[in-house]
Amino acid sequence: MDFVITILEQGLIYGILALGVYITYKILDFPDLTADGSFPLGAAVSAALITKGINPYLTLLAAFAAGVVAGICTGLIHVKGKVRDLLSGIIMMTALWTINLRIAGTSNVPLFSKETIFKNSMTEKIFTGGASSYSTLIIVLILAVIAKLLLDFYMNSKSGFLLRAVGDNDKLVTALAKDEGNVKILGLAIANGLIALSGSIFCQEERVFEISMGTGAIVIGLASVIIGTSIFRNLTFVKSTTAVIIGSVLYKACTAVAMRNFEPQDMKFITAALFLIVLLISMERKRKVKTHA
Amino acid sequence: MKKVNALKAAGAFFMAAVMTAGSTSMVFAEDENYVIGIEQFAEHGSLDNCREGFLEGLKEEGIEEGKNLTVEYKNAAADMGTAGQISDNFVSSKVDLICSIATPSAQSAYNAAMEKGIPVIYTAVTDPVAAELADEDGNSVGEVTGTSDKLPVEQQLEMIRKMLPDAKTIGILYTTSEANSESAIKEYEALADKYDFTIETAGITQTSEIPLAAQGLLDKVDCLTNLTDNTVVSSLPTILEMANEKNIPVFGSEIEQVKIGCLAAEGLDYVALGKQTGKMAAQVLKGEKKASELPYETIEDASFYVNEKVAENLGIEVPEELSSTAAESFTEIIESTEE
Amino acid sequence: MLELKNIYKYYNPGTVNEMCLFKDFNLTVKEGEFVSVVGSNGSGKTSMLNIICGSIPVESGKIILDGKDITREKEFRRNRRIGRVYQNPALGTCPSMTILENMSLADNKGMKYGLGRGINKGRVDFYRDLLRPLNLGLEDKMHVKVGSLSGGQRQAMALLMSTMTPIEFLILDEHTAALDPKTADIIMELTDKLVKEKHLTTIMVTHNLRYAVEYGNRLLMMHQGEAVIDCAGAEKEALGIDHILAKFNEISIECGN
Repeated sequence: MDFVITILEQGLIYGILALGVYITYKILDFPDLTADGSFPLGAAVSAALITKGINPYLTLLAAFAAGVVAGICTGLIHVKGKVRDLLSGIIMMTALWTINLRIAGTSNVPLFSKETIFKNSMTEKIFTGGASSYSTLIIVLILAVIAKLLLDFYMNSKSGFLLRAVGDNDKLVTALAKDEGNVKILGLAIANGLIALSGSIFCQEERVFEISMGTGAIVIGLASVIIGTSIFRNLTFVKSTTAVIIGSVLYKACTAVAMRNFEPQDMKFITAALFLIVLLISMERKRKVKTHA
Repeated sequence: MKKVNALKAAGAFFMAAVMTAGSTSMVFAEDENYVIGIEQFAEHGSLDNCREGFLEGLKEEGIEEGKNLTVEYKNAAADMGTAGQISDNFVSSKVDLICSIATPSAQSAYNAAMEKGIPVIYTAVTDPVAAELADEDGNSVGEVTGTSDKLPVEQQLEMIRKMLPDAKTIGILYTTSEANSESAIKEYEALADKYDFTIETAGITQTSEIPLAAQGLLDKVDCLTNLTDNTVVSSLPTILEMANEKNIPVFGSEIEQVKIGCLAAEGLDYVALGKQTGKMAAQVLKGEKKASELPYETIEDASFYVNEKVAENLGIEVPEELSSTAAESFTEIIESTEE
Repeated sequence: MLELKNIYKYYNPGTVNEMCLFKDFNLTVKEGEFVSVVGSNGSGKTSMLNIICGSIPVESGKIILDGKDITREKEFRRNRRIGRVYQNPALGTCPSMTILENMSLADNKGMKYGLGRGINKGRVDFYRDLLRPLNLGLEDKMHVKVGSLSGGQRQAMALLMSTMTPIEFLILDEHTAALDPKTADIIMELTDKLVKEKHLTTIMVTHNLRYAVEYGNRLLMMHQGEAVIDCAGAEKEALGIDHILAKFNEISIECGN
């Protein structure tokens, strides 16, 4: 049972990361590698603020804001600097390594003795007795659901429609008299805000900030998005946002099971194989209708 | 449609596998059979020595693999995410004790085991206080304790001064992501003046940056010294080759490094460190003491190791007072024993 | 209403391939005019459209819309008052969004795209009423993704969407060229209807001489950056296809084609 709970916890935390990657990869069609830098950015901001005694729940907002700034930077590099999408993300990801180190102060910031969103005077009062072993799961579930609902609300707004349009046909956005560059920057900002938020939650759950914790974040996010959207492609009642969170849980389940039966060194290969299998099974590959009807 | 069905079946199968895997993974303890999960953060000689010593220490206290001990060993290959998953795995299989080798593994094990009552014994954690595994007085913060491989910085500086009476600058190569390296460098810089040295450092983020960083450093210094930095130590052969071309001696931090070509080291015996850890673990397993009651321990004595062949190649004479007290003296350079 | 004044446009300036397309080009389009533009490939028809819209810059000259100098205005800003339909039906709509969503998007042009609900439930009937006269059955497919529609259906949608909100100028860039003859006819009829209903000043570039003659009240034939035919009103009515073809051959021989 513990095993399942851990999978759900990790899956839901990374599910928020998946929501961010969903925006850039699926909606904007922008392969954004900033994630490897913005995930630990959220963690660094939270760790630094918590060490200074700031309320851990407020640090979630600060982490989101930091992610938004990172996304805006990537967007500016791409739109104003006219640098390719992939490279813009790589530039930001590299710069963020140094920025994160400076924000956190050092490469390893432990939070064992500090209050986090999972362990503070309030949670101690609410979760007593048997419920305490589920406290992390419940809190993470609430956060993931809130993030998902907020994103759904946004995607159904006029601004959200414009975001979907810019990834589909940016010429139409220009025809609608809106600056498509600005719309892309907004999308990147929201996405990286979510990714940084996810990093903050992860860091508080692990109770330590490690500078290298972002390596591979984009891979996990992509895997979750692809698994989620492929499996639920034909079930229209499942919204995409829900699908990618479930995809994240499934991905974590598979890696956890693989970890039991294989050596950690083999894990990356197994991840790649899993990824490939899912892509092949969902044969109806997305038709990229960019410039032909 | 067929493919979607196949996919749904695959998905269901996976979930079923997860469920069954989860429930059948509990290892049953029969007749005092202890189950220990060992998680090691990275692959290299020093950490391997710790593991060896750990098992030896347990053996000396009567807990032996094959007799009354089952060991599950997993290596995180220097990946933090993997370390977390290994810790979670050990906790959900309800092992009796987790042994963590190196700081990131220790922290993730402590986090996973914190509320589950599984004790964590660590080793090769340079600064348990900074890692918040122990408080300032050295007492444990929970069911976690172990041994620290704090570098004998002062002894190293003293030794280098004796070996190279005319040297002025010491170079240190380190990885920016290793917190242990940062604190060690601070100590070096604080004590360097006392022995008339200045410290030059070069930081890298990954293995591929080592050749260039080392080149730059070697141009400015009289000798190099190593920390317990995992990435740098794993690339030691490369660094030694470059240093030898310029006839610059490299001082190690541990016996394995001297074997493969470092001039000398005031080193810790990692096997002995591991043994000490094993003994602590035995106490906890047998119920004699709880992990929270044991403050962390260090090995006080650094021993002098020297490689005569290297000294010969560099044209350096090893002072009598050192060679006579050497714990071990090597007369040849062994090819790297890395796995 | 629209003036192009002393336009100079060079392609690949400063290189071996330098080519001057427009040299002191002038054009005035009066309000309410429906201009058909024909010409050989490379004559500058599409470049002229792009210059008006702002997709490409000019070396010198002025573009004046309704008395306002928009030469320096960015493309997306100009589009406030301009509607544009492209030759490629895919460029006028969003394939992954439904008909309803596309129309909602277009309906909001000129207003703020904030956090208000993307779909205005009260307008759905209005959209249906717009789609019904097309006789394409689209009003019953409001929740179908546009990407699965045919080229003609998408072009019809593009036309509707570009004229849904009040605009002053409609630019049609060979918008029937990629359609089969029957669908092209339907789209042209729709175009004519919309232009007359909304009194839109229109520039239509086309390769189809029949359309150029039948629709619109002014005809322009472009050649090497100049207008070689420019007639309006009664003069245009009197024009026949043969006349235009003759002119085509004339200039082709001149160029040595």
